[in-house]
Amino acid sequence: MNTSTRRKKRVDQLIRSVFLVATLLSASFIIIIVIFIVIKGITPFITNNDGLGVVNVWTFLTGTVWLKGTAFQSNLYSIGFIILNTLYIAFLTLLLSLPVGVLTALFIAKIAPKKLAEFLRTIVELLASIPSIVYGLFGIGIILTFVYNLSSVFGIQSKGGNSVLATVLVLALMTLPTITAISEVAIRSVRKDIEEGSLALGATRTQTNFKVVLTSAKSGIFAAAILGIGRSLGEATAVSLVAGNAKSGPNLGLFDITTTLTSTMLQGLKETTGVDYDIRFSVGIVLMIVILITNFILNAVKKRVGNVNVK
Amino acid sequence: MSMLNKRKRIDFLYQGITYFASSISLIALAMIFYFVWSNGSGLLNLDLITKDYHAQYYNGELDENSPFSTMERPIELDENVFYSEKYGLGVSDGIDREGNPIILVVYVSSDSPLRKMQDRNSEQIISLEEDMLISKVSFNDKATALRTFGAKYMIDELDSAVDFREMVFTSIGGGIRGSIITTLYLIGMTMLVALPIGVFTAIYLNEFAKKNRMTNILRILVDTLSGVPSIIYGLMGLAVFVPLTIRTTSATSGNLISGSLTLAIILLPVIIKSTEESLKVVPDGLRQASLALGANETQTTFKVVLPSSIPGILTASLLGIGRIIGESAALIFAIGTAVKDDISITGKSTSLAVHIWSMMTDEPANIELSSTIAVIILMIVLILNIVVKFISKKLMKPLA
Repeated sequence: MNTSTRRKKRVDQLIRSVFLVATLLSASFIIIIVIFIVIKGITPFITNNDGLGVVNVWTFLTGTVWLKGTAFQSNLYSIGFIILNTLYIAFLTLLLSLPVGVLTALFIAKIAPKKLAEFLRTIVELLASIPSIVYGLFGIGIILTFVYNLSSVFGIQSKGGNSVLATVLVLALMTLPTITAISEVAIRSVRKDIEEGSLALGATRTQTNFKVVLTSAKSGIFAAAILGIGRSLGEATAVSLVAGNAKSGPNLGLFDITTTLTSTMLQGLKETTGVDYDIRFSVGIVLMIVILITNFILNAVKKRVGNVNVK
Repeated sequence: MSMLNKRKRIDFLYQGITYFASSISLIALAMIFYFVWSNGSGLLNLDLITKDYHAQYYNGELDENSPFSTMERPIELDENVFYSEKYGLGVSDGIDREGNPIILVVYVSSDSPLRKMQDRNSEQIISLEEDMLISKVSFNDKATALRTFGAKYMIDELDSAVDFREMVFTSIGGGIRGSIITTLYLIGMTMLVALPIGVFTAIYLNEFAKKNRMTNILRILVDTLSGVPSIIYGLMGLAVFVPLTIRTTSATSGNLISGSLTLAIILLPVIIKSTEESLKVVPDGLRQASLALGANETQTTFKVVLPSSIPGILTASLLGIGRIIGESAALIFAIGTAVKDDISITGKSTSLAVHIWSMMTDEPANIELSSTIAVIILMIVLILNIVVKFISKKLMKPLA
């Protein structure tokens, strides 16, 4: 081996290790996130909180009032009702956005003429790229007014439109493009021969689309639903602008003000020490756990549902 | 026959439902654009981009030597403008966003002594300009003319007094210069951190890593990042980067550096994924040819593989810029929500998106300016989207 090749080898080694370091760094961030949020988040449960006393884990997870007493003078935090609210809102959101998204995807993939399909695909992409703060602004400007007027039709006095319904509508709009885009891919990847079989048996195009194509794409549509749920559980700014910041619950009425895990974290963050600050990290841990469990359950369901494929 | 007709009707109905569902996306997008445009386009002009957000307060007094002359009322002034010939000053009544009365300066003659007042606080020369607001004028020998008494009263009092003791006036503010600069800083600093780490990670995972469990674990860890909601990144920024920057720089609170570092982590999965995808389409033959010609791994990577992945990196950067501009939740935690005019990278300030958040959580919410910023954000996002589409169509053609 001459010196030049040896030097080249050494450069190779060096560059390779630089790349490896970058990779290790990238991979470590998720661990850093978990460690730091867990450390901060369990502080209220294991320390004295500057004389306020330990926050009780059980009441924290099951209680129905966010904070009994004044901030920084009480350790009686509870998010039981907020967990329930968050799941309830995510469920209602999916109830709206999944059918609309899947039908839109079916239209784009199978029914619309090519030009129209291309146009709609662009529309969906644009909707997906709109930042959540703009959705929040739109929610305040249009959806709150709409919900307020709707509630007065029913003779209910809603708090300026801030409500479960407004939150669900905003989230449904935000998850719609995600669900549409992924469902469309699923629908388009349905094998042609399945479709042709159905048509050959005398089913009409529409029957085939609804009964055969959609059933075959079930697994992909489920994946879309999982992503949609994930987005509604984690969405923060838009939600907190229209939720109304309820202090106790659960808030199940459509016109009731509400609060979610994310909007609770964003509310009134002022100090950077003390229990009122640390408790937000505890809410963060709960949010991550809620997302993980929901994903786990839905993926398990997906496996069972998805396997019953039309083949 | 009738069964066939029935089938047709049902099919028609089903198809109609899909048409209806698809129209919802279109209507939603149209409404969003219409809403922000109709509320925000009124404030959209070049001044907005160059002006400060916070109003500047001045306490002016007349220079003793300033000459007085009669200045005629310009004919182009509106009827509802009250004019003082003595000061060459035209003012009109108005109402601010909170519904309080204001006195708006419509015209100041170029010879007016009000153009060369002394600042009572700093001894500097200050000038009353058009579009400023006069909040009060105090006199030596009579009661103060407050803005609540109206423009006509103020002009009458000014004309009837010999001179005045103090004129308190403010610039109108409401500009977004600070937030634009902050956003640009964030884009630059975030990319500086995220691009090299992201691209190197993608190269390592795609070019060097052996297919073993270790690599698999690394890949899963990196992939998991993309499923984390941005508010969790915000908490992480608050818990890790804010204390870190306070310890190592002159920062005393959340700052642009801690914000950029947080954003960089948010962007990592986007950059890694996009770069990897463009690396995957580089045919293996190219690598082997390069190695066979005597190039080493480093040369092959930098001179053969990397150039062909540039479109992917470019796409990733543009998507990243879009994400930075739109991000709010993470930055609310990692920097804070105080809108600033003087920007420093170790200080607090808001990006355009957080500026909206800051105004919408204020009482009363400033929907007009928020919509104007939203228009700007939407325009940028729209352009980025078009460019990304163009790149992936023209430049991302598979090689070989």
